[in-house]
Amino acid sequence: MSIEKDVVSRATKGDGKAFAQLYEEHFDKIYRYVYLKVGNGTEAEDLTQDVFVKALEAIGSYRWRNLPFASWIFRIAHNQVIDYFRKQGKVEKVDLDDDDVAPVDESNPAQIAEQKFEIAELKDNIKKLSPSQREVISLRFGAELSTVEIAEALGKSTGTVKALQHNGIVALRKMMLGNG
Amino acid sequence: MEDILNECLERVFSGESIEACLNGYPEQASQLEPLLKTSLVLMRTCSAIQPDAEYKARARYRLQAMFYAKHEKEGKRASIPVWHRKWAMAMTTVSVVLLAGIGTVAAAANALPDESLYPVKLAAEQVRVTLAFSDVDEAKLHLQFAERRAGEMTEMARRGMPDKISMLTEQIANHLDKVYVMEETVKVEEKGPGVQEVRPRALAPPSPAPSEQATTYDVEKDTGGLGVVLSQSWAMNLAVLEGALDKAPEELKPDLEQAIDSLAKDYGKTIFIIESGSSS
Repeated sequence: MSIEKDVVSRATKGDGKAFAQLYEEHFDKIYRYVYLKVGNGTEAEDLTQDVFVKALEAIGSYRWRNLPFASWIFRIAHNQVIDYFRKQGKVEKVDLDDDDVAPVDESNPAQIAEQKFEIAELKDNIKKLSPSQREVISLRFGAELSTVEIAEALGKSTGTVKALQHNGIVALRKMMLGNG
Repeated sequence: MEDILNECLERVFSGESIEACLNGYPEQASQLEPLLKTSLVLMRTCSAIQPDAEYKARARYRLQAMFYAKHEKEGKRASIPVWHRKWAMAMTTVSVVLLAGIGTVAAAANALPDESLYPVKLAAEQVRVTLAFSDVDEAKLHLQFAERRAGEMTEMARRGMPDKISMLTEQIANHLDKVYVMEETVKVEEKGPGVQEVRPRALAPPSPAPSEQATTYDVEKDTGGLGVVLSQSWAMNLAVLEGALDKAPEELKPDLEQAIDSLAKDYGKTIFIIESGSSS
């Protein structure tokens, strides 16, 4: 049994420490994914917490089978974001707020400036991707999922995910060079 | 190209350099390189997006409270009055520990029986036992603490404090007794109360019938036979552990095996030190 499988198994049986371990492992990744989707730090935090509440309610019925835990919880996150936009009556868009981003080294102004520049670029560019590309890029780079995990989370083939990833990166590259 | 890009991305994600990936695909290198560099920028930018640490901590606290409430409601703990009593005891101990200071607890983590912070260490252990989520978790903690006591016993032998060894052997026996009770409770819960077997208190120890007397050593009465008493204590504890191993749920067996191994080493070391000391 893999370590993660063991942790998930213990969490499904009511082991609080195991659930806390899953929380630590996935909270930041889910937050980054949600943040890239909704573009607001406060809403991303609340939605991330909601994802874990849903996961907590459903974890007893989770069965490993062939679905990795990461794919399972990101499917919840994906549905949560869709639900958020539906309730808000909003069309999915990205309006990233620079102030929600934690700088790597607060004592280094040059680094902060560079980071803000990159984030501003990402903010502008990610809006221009197609929804499917944005989804895959958010899951790949925000949540650090593999293409297999993304395919399972989104119910798409790995071939489709790889194509969306490739096209998304090509599109972002062009945008960064000012050709988008 | 999509497959190659994905493979290279996996390698870059795992820490390999872009150059190393490009070397593997010289024909596609000119196409791959800009895409991998863009991906690196994406990775770096995304990693800077972090939730507020305070919010994350609060959310974790809320979720843990929900987790406990959910499992309490589902009846993971069979007896509510006992649970309440245990909580009351735990909260009292937690309050004492908090009043004493978190730093004190941390400092007590490695305290030994002849040190002033040792009672704090035992209190902290008691809190952990009281807050265990299930009987199996509780049994695991008792095994862990029995191993700790055995390690402390060896250290006391090194320091020439046989009176502490006597106390520690009793504590080890108490912890292992509780493992036995946990294991029995789990078995009864699994089979149902109607099929409870009538068994002696300890599990198939060597004759004569087991009793706590065999593991108790009175240093005031006998200062010469500690090695013998320790040997008897180990034989008794081994019998309890092996008996529990036969009947324990699968998830507890690795802990029992670990405890047997660890206790065997520590008892062996302690007996060696005691006998070397008395013979020298």
